[in-house]
Amino acid sequence: MTEAMVVGQWTSMPEVHDIVTGKARYCPDIQLPGMLTGKLLYSPHARARIMRLDVKKARKLPGVFAVLTHGDIRGENSYLYAHPDQPLLAIDEVRFQGDAVAAVAAQDEQTADAALQAIEVEYELMPGIFDPLEAMQPGADQVVQGEDNVIMAKTYRTGDVEAALSCADVIIENTYRTQWAEHAFLETEGGVGLVDDDGVITVYSTCQAPHRDRMQIARALAIPESSVRVITPYIGGAFGGKDEAHVQIHVGLLAHAAQRPVRLIRGRKESMLTHVKRHPIIVECTTAATKDGRLLAVKARAIADAGPYTNSTHEVLNKFGEFIGGPYKVENLEVEKIGVRTNNPITGAFRGFGAPQAAFVYESQMDDLARKLGMDPLEIRLRNGVETGTKMYTGVVVREGTAMKATLRKAAEMIGWEKRDQGERRPDRHLRRGWGMATILKGSGLGRGLSDHAGVVLEMHRDGSVVLQSGAADMGQGIVTVMAQLAAERLGVGLSSVRVIRADTARSPDAGASCASRQTIMSGNAVLKAADSIRDTLLSLAAGKTKISKDRLDLKGGRLHVDGEPHEISVRDLAQGAGNRGYPLHAESLYHFEYPTDVPEVSYRYSQEVFQFCTQVAQVLVDCETGQVTVERLVAVHDAGKMINPGGVYGQIEGGCAQGIGYALTEELILKEGHTQNASLENYVIPMALDLPELEIEVLEIPEPIAAPLGAKGIAESPIIPTAPAIRNAILDAIDKPLYELPMTAERVLS
Amino acid sequence: MNRTEYTAPATLEDASHIKKQRGAEARVIAGGTDLILRMRENVLSPALLIDLRRIAMDSITLTTDEMRLGAFVTQSQILASADIARLFPALCEACRGFAGPPIRNRGTVGGNIVNASPAADLAPPLMAYDASIVLTSVAGDRVLPLVEFFTGPGQTLMEPDEILSEIRLPLMPEGTAATFIKLGQRRSMAIALVNLTTRLTLDGTGAVSDARIVLGAVAPTPIRALAAEGMLTGKLLSDELFERAASMARKAISPISDVRASMAYREQMTEVLVRRALLATRDELERNQSGD
Amino acid sequence: MTEMDIQLTVNGKPAQVRAEPTQTLLSVLRDKLGLTGTKDGCSSGDCGACVVLLDERPVNACMVLAPQAEGAEVVTIEGLAKEGELHPLQRAFGETWAFQCGFCTPGMLVSCYALLRSNNNPSREEILIAIAGNFCRCTGYQAVVKAVEQAAAELRTANGGSEIRHD
Repeated sequence: MTEAMVVGQWTSMPEVHDIVTGKARYCPDIQLPGMLTGKLLYSPHARARIMRLDVKKARKLPGVFAVLTHGDIRGENSYLYAHPDQPLLAIDEVRFQGDAVAAVAAQDEQTADAALQAIEVEYELMPGIFDPLEAMQPGADQVVQGEDNVIMAKTYRTGDVEAALSCADVIIENTYRTQWAEHAFLETEGGVGLVDDDGVITVYSTCQAPHRDRMQIARALAIPESSVRVITPYIGGAFGGKDEAHVQIHVGLLAHAAQRPVRLIRGRKESMLTHVKRHPIIVECTTAATKDGRLLAVKARAIADAGPYTNSTHEVLNKFGEFIGGPYKVENLEVEKIGVRTNNPITGAFRGFGAPQAAFVYESQMDDLARKLGMDPLEIRLRNGVETGTKMYTGVVVREGTAMKATLRKAAEMIGWEKRDQGERRPDRHLRRGWGMATILKGSGLGRGLSDHAGVVLEMHRDGSVVLQSGAADMGQGIVTVMAQLAAERLGVGLSSVRVIRADTARSPDAGASCASRQTIMSGNAVLKAADSIRDTLLSLAAGKTKISKDRLDLKGGRLHVDGEPHEISVRDLAQGAGNRGYPLHAESLYHFEYPTDVPEVSYRYSQEVFQFCTQVAQVLVDCETGQVTVERLVAVHDAGKMINPGGVYGQIEGGCAQGIGYALTEELILKEGHTQNASLENYVIPMALDLPELEIEVLEIPEPIAAPLGAKGIAESPIIPTAPAIRNAILDAIDKPLYELPMTAERVLS
Repeated sequence: MNRTEYTAPATLEDASHIKKQRGAEARVIAGGTDLILRMRENVLSPALLIDLRRIAMDSITLTTDEMRLGAFVTQSQILASADIARLFPALCEACRGFAGPPIRNRGTVGGNIVNASPAADLAPPLMAYDASIVLTSVAGDRVLPLVEFFTGPGQTLMEPDEILSEIRLPLMPEGTAATFIKLGQRRSMAIALVNLTTRLTLDGTGAVSDARIVLGAVAPTPIRALAAEGMLTGKLLSDELFERAASMARKAISPISDVRASMAYREQMTEVLVRRALLATRDELERNQSGD
Repeated sequence: MTEMDIQLTVNGKPAQVRAEPTQTLLSVLRDKLGLTGTKDGCSSGDCGACVVLLDERPVNACMVLAPQAEGAEVVTIEGLAKEGELHPLQRAFGETWAFQCGFCTPGMLVSCYALLRSNNNPSREEILIAIAGNFCRCTGYQAVVKAVEQAAAELRTANGGSEIRHD
């Protein structure tokens, strides 16, 4: 195969013109004739019984077209990520500040507000349950009547942990606490619903899973999925927070009830109060090792605050447990995963999905261990790092593990690890400088045992232009560009010849959710499959025309190439020829991820097989009098397998590191009796331009052997995972103070 | 927010008459960066907004003994003024760390004062420079020292029929330097956990002839640490002196715990930052001296 | 109803709208004039998604009431390109991947555009200060700095190499 012309090139994304001119339309920009404003009424309490709910007055207000309560839902009154325990509209009880009680659609915002005011609700306050440790005690008050507060209590074991602990030379035992974190995507949750001329409920949704949304909307309305259509306009960020449905089902219900288009956009405060947050987890972790730093065992007990509803608690804890031993050779491991209901905010998917919490634990343990043994933190990691062929504590065999040590070594080299003690550690009386590292792994894909697949439709027209239809939601992570590049590459055309139609369930096959760093692999492979089918038709035609065998032919730069040299026949000529002969240049493909079957025993459920390895090293400056931590340098070395879209890869890494710094130092939702005290971008403190160091990024391309398109694997989640422990370890190095709680605010550093 | 009326009078006199008529239910809107927010949150619901944008109230005038800032001077204008940078650097510094450029282009010095947040960034430097404010009404102008103006969180001595029209800063004597420090959770777009200004004026012998330590975000209003200021007066500068002053300043405050910081942290930081500010002021004095 | 007539200039063209006094400039632009390029990220002046130029200065449109823009010249993202020709900044943003989801981009571009109009040779520090009120969650700020530097170089060349610096 000749050198790629499109893939791997630093190319502008196809949407660039629309975005930089302001033409790109997101849900709040959609205007339809007769469109109404939708709003939701939320619970003012963290826990209360609904004694009376009367919407008669609201319904009678002029300009109000629909007021819905649970009784108006013909179908299922529940969200369905995994378990249908969260109601769309509360029935007799509200269980957190974001439980919706009613939905209205009115002629304008003012009238919608008036309608909300006119809804009469009487609550009887109930004592809230805010401590997961209390909530999990037998006999504790049930957050959901008839349901155990303990949603999940699963233990995974491999090897013999007790034996390992008893013969260990050194044991490190600590308790860690992580916080509720907010996604803070710039575009809040919203949707626009309408009933089209065919009676199809169409919902424009800022979402990550359009086909799953379609199922949920149909389910709530009790209509067939064939009567529902979900379209993704431009999406202003998601990071997992729009994986589960938010308001799109309500939007469908309102549009159906009002028989008019309805646009419902959450305000920022509303968004921060009501949508899912990252699970706060309390982890007791014990790490045992020999005196020369070889890990013998890891034992962990994790208690996650699930909020009142299940959402993705099982899955997040599952991922947490899958990586709690780190990218290390650990033969004895036990992890107890407990998810507990409370009346705190609902928790769900957020970039990393349990892995950031796990990494904070295992990478902090590694540094504490290194300290105790007087070992260099780099050395101890190299000593224990996985390699190609290592069988992990989950039973998964690492197919390509070079990146673990490669990223570690490269990052150490970039920061100047060996020479760090020559650096100025005490630039002033009250200032201390330190260096710390963290190396992590995260998997791509939904996990073994789950069907992971994506479909795509590809068509080349007579003039050589290409249309690609995919159901993969692009929230900014760049899957649209990746797919366009792969198609363009294989079909030998320029990127500008490929038009990608944004996810639309009426026009695109299901590609699954944009989550778990999976789309590059799943949709990428689907595109390659479809493109290869069309490519084959074109090359067969070319072979016939030129009387040259197919193996000497290629498509590149809009032309046929013979033995690597451009030919006078263009791709357009071939497309025309195909059209004339009635050869279809149309392919619909379905790609299924195949889990390797040659592995003797993979004992961890839903384990991932394709690994993103990365290492980050931080240089921090700590002000010992104020506790403020400045990240002066952050080195990030990632293995992407292959960069199909370098601009997108660097963007993901930079953005992820920025989120990681916030997660490490300043971001936390402050709760008081189930009520968020800082539901604003002013008081939920996210680093901005003046707070971030100039990141030093290096991307390794070690091709992924398992089913990765051209060797590429997703890197979407890994950037946010090592940042917090790297900073934590740098603080430890600077001021000799180990921290076990996130975020590491100035007050916590000082205390 | 919706039944609010709006008027943009052509003169300050007209504005004063309207304010006299309508009293407390009418609010002057300057940049609006605080007012609009509070209206949106339903904390304030003025029946009438009086916009002074047609009146030229954003001039910066320098006379032989004072500087006069129109109430509508924005933080951006303060940052752009070479005179303010030279004569009142602590005020400049306070504007530099204030929110971000889009807010600085709208936020005014008058608005920051009238909003009277205990954490108002411009209050400590203005108070340290002995600013006085001009309150205009149909009865004429009333001039008041800024230090007397704040009475509680969001509360001032301004009468319902008055409009803050001007801020006056006396030119500082030779041998004066001032330092502004703000402690925030990030470098832009942050509300101060603690903000303060120290100002020292030395006499010919190098002893303190006048001292100001003004602290914000640590009491119901911005306050002067009077005992610490008094202790400094007449003394020669030294590190121990500053440590003592910082420790005394800490006793003058009554901070609260809120989402940004705990009471204990604010107390601790007051002491740390007063000391640092005094040291920096001394450095500035030494630089000025050697520069002469 | 207390609706008022507001006259202003938007992207060089005169505009006239009727608006409530408490309606924001952001709402006027998006809902009355159909200019949906400028976004609402927080309605509280914290995120910069709604930054527009008001009489040449970048401001949060969500924190300007409609009547406060009476007689003013407003420039939005839709006004940066001239006759279909992208401004060097717009091109540079695309080339350096200074955005991903694009929601912060209109406000970010306007802040950078304002900077380059008064300073066509900004330092890295000056660029970061100019965007210190613009929040980006997807991409961070490094690529924005690169884009501004790239566009600045292009503008300086077009200007015959001379520097422009004024407040």
